[in-house]
Amino acid sequence: MDTPMSHSEFEELAAGYVLGALEPDDEQAFRRHLEGCAVCEANVRELEAVVGELAYAVPQVDPPDTVWAGIRREIRPEAARRPAAPPPDTSGAVAGARRRRRGLGVLPGLAAAAAILLVVALSVWNLNLRDENAIYRDRVAALERATQLANDPNAALVTLDDSPGPAGAAGTVIASSREDRGVLIVENLPPLARDRVYELWSAPGGDFDRAEKALVFQPLRRPGTQTLLFEAPIQPGSVFAITEEPGPDGSAKPTTQPILTGLPPTA
Amino acid sequence: MRGTSYQGLRDGQLVELVAQKDAGALEALYDRYGRAAYSLARRILTEETLAQDVVQEVFLSLWRNAGRFDAGRGTVATYLLSMTHHRAVDVVRREENLRRWRTSDEGLELEPDPKARVEDDVVASERRAEVRAALVELPAAQREALLLAYFGGYTQREVAALVGVPLGTVKTRMAAGMRKMKEALQDAGTEEHPWTRQ
Repeated sequence: MDTPMSHSEFEELAAGYVLGALEPDDEQAFRRHLEGCAVCEANVRELEAVVGELAYAVPQVDPPDTVWAGIRREIRPEAARRPAAPPPDTSGAVAGARRRRRGLGVLPGLAAAAAILLVVALSVWNLNLRDENAIYRDRVAALERATQLANDPNAALVTLDDSPGPAGAAGTVIASSREDRGVLIVENLPPLARDRVYELWSAPGGDFDRAEKALVFQPLRRPGTQTLLFEAPIQPGSVFAITEEPGPDGSAKPTTQPILTGLPPTA
Repeated sequence: MRGTSYQGLRDGQLVELVAQKDAGALEALYDRYGRAAYSLARRILTEETLAQDVVQEVFLSLWRNAGRFDAGRGTVATYLLSMTHHRAVDVVRREENLRRWRTSDEGLELEPDPKARVEDDVVASERRAEVRAALVELPAAQREALLLAYFGGYTQREVAALVGVPLGTVKTRMAAGMRKMKEALQDAGTEEHPWTRQ
């Protein structure tokens, strides 16, 4: 521009700047001015806050679960294993802050069913846990996690069917495709030879060629129920299955027929 | 419940945790602002998949650059929603076919909601009501200029061409409109919400 702009002209450009609407030459000139003008810098910050509020003018729409699932998949390799969250600030308005819509919403049927099942399961388990705290500490943690998942509206409850597997064996998976993690509750799996393990798989759409390893575990040496946490890529409609595999690390892909299989209710 | 231990934390505290690669903190911020970001991107881009990509990019960018977040320059909400806006506008300018002429407040439903969705986040509902009220109070020409720029991704020169007025008039209308919005929102007390305090 041939004629230098006056300060009032720059002030007028601030609105277009925060809206991202300036022409390239105006934007360049405004950026240069901004570096040395505290008044305009303060004005821009105030206007940026207004622009942030404009976002709320549109009807609010929930993003599909796949958005967070995609983010989670990207960050997982870098995520700290045990982040140290500071204690929540429970003072005043923050403690009373509006809770997340998901937390307040009506639980979808699946998660509600999972919650009911888990309340019953926890009650029964508590009887057994009374005198065996040390032994069952890990299971309590897993059950707590299962309870959390049951409150997750995205969690699916999958019953693992033993047909034509070993009689008496049964399992349940509570899995969140949003969090890519879940809990396996399994009971009465037959004991294995020392060099064999059980492996839980998550198969997108039931396609076992694309099955992902979710968990490798040894069965109990006596009749009983195991509760195990796992993390694996989970998609809505993933089928879960348990196969017997060579130990100690299991296989990259299933090598035997599943002894327990579970289709999600929506599959 | 997902994110329980993060619920009482303020945005600034969550960003500090995100800088330490705490996925739960990022998730808590996503719970707070993912919906607003997605709604904004969807309004600008009209195509859901593009809007989803933008929201993912925004939160992944925060994940990677949280250590550089400067609380002195604005709130986390402003940062996330501004980034959403910039990225969505970048996309819409690249994908010219996404932009089509429409009335500038189409889809905004500036008339009061006869019945708000009961599951709407209370904060978002309040904010939306205040912002819409402020927009409704603007002179129509100023509102049109703001909305074409903000939701349409049009530059000032493009707005001038669309509306049929000189570029200088558009600059003046945007400046006046933003000034009035600032005053109205300050009066409405929307500047600060509990969890946005740093």
